[in-house]
Amino acid sequence: MRKLIFGRVVSSLFSLIALVVAVFFLSRLTGDPAALFLPREATQEMLDNFRRLHGLNDPLIVQFGRYLWDLVHLDFGESLRQARPAIDVVLEGFTWTFQLAVITITLVTVTAIVIGSIAAFRPGGVFDRFTSVVSLIGASAPDFWVAIVAIVVFAVKLAWLPTSGTGSFAHWILPVAVLFIRPFGLILQVVRGSMIQCFGSLYVKTARAKGVGNASIIFVHTLRNAMLPVITVIGDQAAAMLNGAVIVETIFGFPGIGKLMIDSILQRDFNVVLAAIMVTALAIFVMNTLIDLAYAILDPRVRT
Amino acid sequence: MKYGLISLGAALLSVVLPAASPALAQSAAGDVTIVLGEGVDLMEPCMSTRSNIGRILLQNINETLTELDITGDKGLMPRLAESWDQQNDKTWRFHLRKNIKFSDGSDFNAEAVKYSIDRAMSPKLACETPRYFGSSKITATVVDPSTVDVTAEPGQAILPLLMSIVTIVPANTPMEFTRNPVGTGPYKMAAWNVGQNIVLQRRDDYWGDKPDVAKATYVFRSDPAVAAAMVETGEADIAPSISATDATNSKLDHAYPNSEVFYARIDQGKPPLQDKRVREALNLAIDRNAFVGTLVPAETTLATAMVPPSTLGFNKDVKPWPFDPDKAKQLIAAAKADGVPVDSKITLVGRTNLFPNVLEVMEAIQGMLKDVGLNVDLQMYEVAEFERIYTKPYSPDRTAQLVTAQHDNARGDPVFSMFFKYHTNGPQSGFSDPKVDKMIEDATAATGDDRAKKWSDLIAYLNDEIVPDILLFNQVSFARISERVTFKPTIATNGQLQLSQIGFK
Repeated sequence: MRKLIFGRVVSSLFSLIALVVAVFFLSRLTGDPAALFLPREATQEMLDNFRRLHGLNDPLIVQFGRYLWDLVHLDFGESLRQARPAIDVVLEGFTWTFQLAVITITLVTVTAIVIGSIAAFRPGGVFDRFTSVVSLIGASAPDFWVAIVAIVVFAVKLAWLPTSGTGSFAHWILPVAVLFIRPFGLILQVVRGSMIQCFGSLYVKTARAKGVGNASIIFVHTLRNAMLPVITVIGDQAAAMLNGAVIVETIFGFPGIGKLMIDSILQRDFNVVLAAIMVTALAIFVMNTLIDLAYAILDPRVRT
Repeated sequence: MKYGLISLGAALLSVVLPAASPALAQSAAGDVTIVLGEGVDLMEPCMSTRSNIGRILLQNINETLTELDITGDKGLMPRLAESWDQQNDKTWRFHLRKNIKFSDGSDFNAEAVKYSIDRAMSPKLACETPRYFGSSKITATVVDPSTVDVTAEPGQAILPLLMSIVTIVPANTPMEFTRNPVGTGPYKMAAWNVGQNIVLQRRDDYWGDKPDVAKATYVFRSDPAVAAAMVETGEADIAPSISATDATNSKLDHAYPNSEVFYARIDQGKPPLQDKRVREALNLAIDRNAFVGTLVPAETTLATAMVPPSTLGFNKDVKPWPFDPDKAKQLIAAAKADGVPVDSKITLVGRTNLFPNVLEVMEAIQGMLKDVGLNVDLQMYEVAEFERIYTKPYSPDRTAQLVTAQHDNARGDPVFSMFFKYHTNGPQSGFSDPKVDKMIEDATAATGDDRAKKWSDLIAYLNDEIVPDILLFNQVSFARISERVTFKPTIATNGQLQLSQIGFK
């Protein structure tokens, strides 16, 4: 197990370094931040002054060396736009995104596993057909459309929930619900498929022959074996959420990391882009390690 | 089982709804919530010429020496300066109000004014202020605690007007961008929950009249449909910029001129646009009135200058070009007879998402120009690529271009437009004419009525003799305002939103 985690740490570290190098140089190719920070009518003197203040006149390799040196001292640099440490900006956004991702993926996992398992118990039955149709609709509905319709129905017409923003429990309901729909449809289908396969296996037939009850067959005998592909998909969906849910964040005015990253790229706020990428990469690394550990717990073959 | 599920649902709702209710409640008496489209990165007073910062800061937290009455006829009004007079070509003397304190308790005086000017112009910061002063170097000198001289080198004829954009800060403000602005205004910043809201609280010790609004909360929603919905549900009171397509509630929605002029620059660097007859034909070919109330809002008016009608020297005698396709065809035929290559391709350049229906507007313009026999191709670009085409240096390999754009001048004087758009050295001009250059330079140096007349003459000369562009529309914006407050959006609302102008019904 230790070897597994050590291997993960080493490979992730190399990936992170490669990512930092690539993003540092590629982001510089997008253009000059001074041109976007200052107004169109800015004088040459103003442009030169801005570049000098932010060290943008130095050769790229000098800028990179300085960046790495600061990074070694855990200094991620200043945000050009916000005039404060880039890491503060990023951690604020990431905290919101992390909460949103954890709540949503927990709800998705629990409901998709329960409903998918029940649906798989009688493939082709009424419940199975109903859940398949609902989950397919969910998996194919565009986020922005669902979000706007949800606001119109639940906030404007019924006045049950606030339209957007943060501040109370009620503010979380619509963003979580909108984020929930797509991964729910996807994971439910994977659970269902995996469970159907397991139900057909010899050990389930043996259990049935021994008179084991349905609940016990589903939740004790089958689910554990059916979980391996499901965990892979959950990990994939969780990684996507940790990168931010741009549409949901934009529409609901949710101050997460997805919108922050897009805005920072568009505004060429390089330090924020780099810090955001490092934070999310680190989070995804931690999550992948947890998934590996989950595999090891569920499947003894992985441990050896 | 069925009833069990319903009971479960009811139980869940009973848990959720009490939590939801406070969020849905309207603001307390005296409090307003304003929903803005764009979040703020900084709360830096010297950046308040940016509309997203200005709408929160300008004249609410940080005040200026002078203030322009852009919607009325009062012209330039006193704010922190009681009066001002010109000492010589380069120096103006400002007499300051006495017994005013900043919200941190420090005194407002000539030292603070000098420091604010020095700070806004300092190369240690990247403030937006210097761009309005062009190449002039600005120095402030303290005469006595309530008198300050401001000198521009070379001289600035509109120095008192320019002081309406220099925000005054205490003399102990750090020489770096601040996130905690302190000013003399009727409000002070009470909270900034980054990404969520900014709260301004009314000051009890403000030197002027006490405004009705006690507390203002600013929230940020980039989707205008959501901003509009927030006012409809009572979560917010004012959404100053909603999309025309969302302005569907006649009780709550108000159109207002937004100081943007929509126009097409005619590129005189390439044939056939070097020929004045062709440029006139372009203007005559477009049925401007057909757009109003169909593709652009009914409140839109036809533009006759690069600046909105509320600007100094606006020439009311210049009329919109009539729609006369027959005359346009005659002019093109006459040009063709003289060897002008009128069949050459002309590229009509547009910017995506500039305003609602922009693509349809561009296609209609293209269709009208084709109807008079011109070979017009339409190209739409994202903002970054568009900026490359819009601003010099222009590509030498380009085809003849008509570049459509919006230009915003809510500062009250054409100087902020004319050099950029029409001077030979202007970064976005499409032609070079020595007489126009001279007229711009003369008007820029003039003062008073003479200045107004010179700008007026320039506007007429451009329209009659140069035909440098196809002027299209004075654009409008829409604001949604709840029924519990009184607020009239104006051309100034794009850059500032004075809380003192909001009342309660």
